[in-house]
Order: sequence, then structure tokens, then C-alpha cells
Amino acid sequence: MNFSILVLGAPFSSQSAYSAYRFTKAALESKHQIHRVFFYQDGIHNSSALATPPQDELDLYKAWQELKQTYSLDMISCIAAAARRGVINNAEAARHNKAHSNMAEQFELSGLGQLVEAVALSERLISFG
Amino acid sequence: MSNQPKNQKHILIVNQSAPYSCNAKEALDLALAAATFEQRVSVLFVADGCYQLLAGQASAVIDQKSITKMLQAFPIYGIEELLVDSRSLKERNIENYEDGLNIREISTREVKALYQSANSVFRF
Repeated sequence: MNFSILVLGAPFSSQSAYSAYRFTKAALESKHQIHRVFFYQDGIHNSSALATPPQDELDLYKAWQELKQTYSLDMISCIAAAARRGVINNAEAARHNKAHSNMAEQFELSGLGQLVEAVALSERLISFG
Repeated sequence: MSNQPKNQKHILIVNQSAPYSCNAKEALDLALAAATFEQRVSVLFVADGCYQLLAGQASAVIDQKSITKMLQAFPIYGIEELLVDSRSLKERNIENYEDGLNIREISTREVKALYQSANSVFRF
């Protein structure tokens, strides 16, 4: 089946993001297709390049990035949600005159249209809020 | 409808959060985005989400933008009516809405039918 995934929760705030990761990984390992993983609301915190969990704990940030590498996943953070919460890439940092950026390069910033497109083109959208 | 674009889905946006949370704003943003991309969009208010429609809001007092202004613009995007769960209204004793909103109260049975007919449901 062709799924899209919506992640609405930040790591460490709820189990939402970890459950989304587990579902995405399981679907891919079972030869399903993931059209897109879209990060909205507090879900955009998953894209931080700076988060550094203790070494003896699961690093969910790194886990997403590795999933992207392994399966060429399409991982998009909502640009408005991300800018509002302060997880932005170089281009956005330059556009808003910020001295730094902090988004992992495995993620892309784009608009809500990408979420709508994911709904239109996937058989199922699974939300993790 | 025969003039539906290919891949058009019925998207149900359920607003269950009180206004002036980020939830409310970002739910409405998604509704507008979906309508812009020619999806069929239903917007439903349930539970504390009904407070988004309540008359007499003074959002500027808490340094917030008006939710009502955003909702009033919905018809421009092709979202003609706002659906409200009548039971949630009754439980909260909400009788008056902000002006300029086209609101239709629906029963619990109709809410269930709406959930069943939608291809995707987003709850905020």
C-alpha cells in the first residue's frame, strides 16, 4: 500500500514521533511505499540538527535521518510551522536575517500544499498526533 | 460531480481546540491549503473548538490575531459553510456566533456520517 505519514508531535513531548518512526520503518521493511513523511505543528522539532540525546538512549533525530538515507524517503517540514518554532535551514536563516540555522540536511522545508498533495496521492494518510 | 479534478479527496478538518492556541490557527491554515489545492474540504467544530465561533471575541486584548476574520474569508476559498456539533454547543451553552459566519449545526448522527464519508480526517 502507498502511505503518507503526518507527524505532529515533538520528540520527548509525546510518543507521537517515535510511533510515527516505528510505523514508517515497519511499513518500508514490509515493502509498502511511503509517499511522504510530513512534519507539521510540533512535529517539526524532529528535524533539529542540534538535539543531542544521551548516548545510552535512542536518538530519534538520527533515526529519521538514517531512514531517509536507507530508503530515499521524502521528508518535508512545514515551512511556516518550522520558522515559527525556530528550526530552519540556511536559506530560511538568510531570508529572515538569522545568524544560524539548525535543520538537519535530510529534511526539506516546503508548504502545506505538500501535505495536501500527499493526501491526494496516497491510499492512506496516517496521522501521529 | 463530473467536474472533480483527478485525485480529489474529501478532507475533514476537525477543530476541537479552543481559539488562540496554535492548534486552532494551524488547523485553519491546513483547511485553506486543502481548499486551494481543489480538495473537497469539510470543516467541523466539536468540543472546545466551538469556542472559536463564539460571539464577542476580543483577540487583540491578548495580542492575538482574530480567528473570526480568518473564518470569514473561508467562502473565498470555496469553503461555504462551517459545521458545528450541536451537542458540543449545548454542553457549553453557546448560543451566539460571531457575525459573518455561515454556520450549520449538525447532529451526532451527521457527525458520524461525515467521518465515514471523508477520505482523510485531521483532528486539531
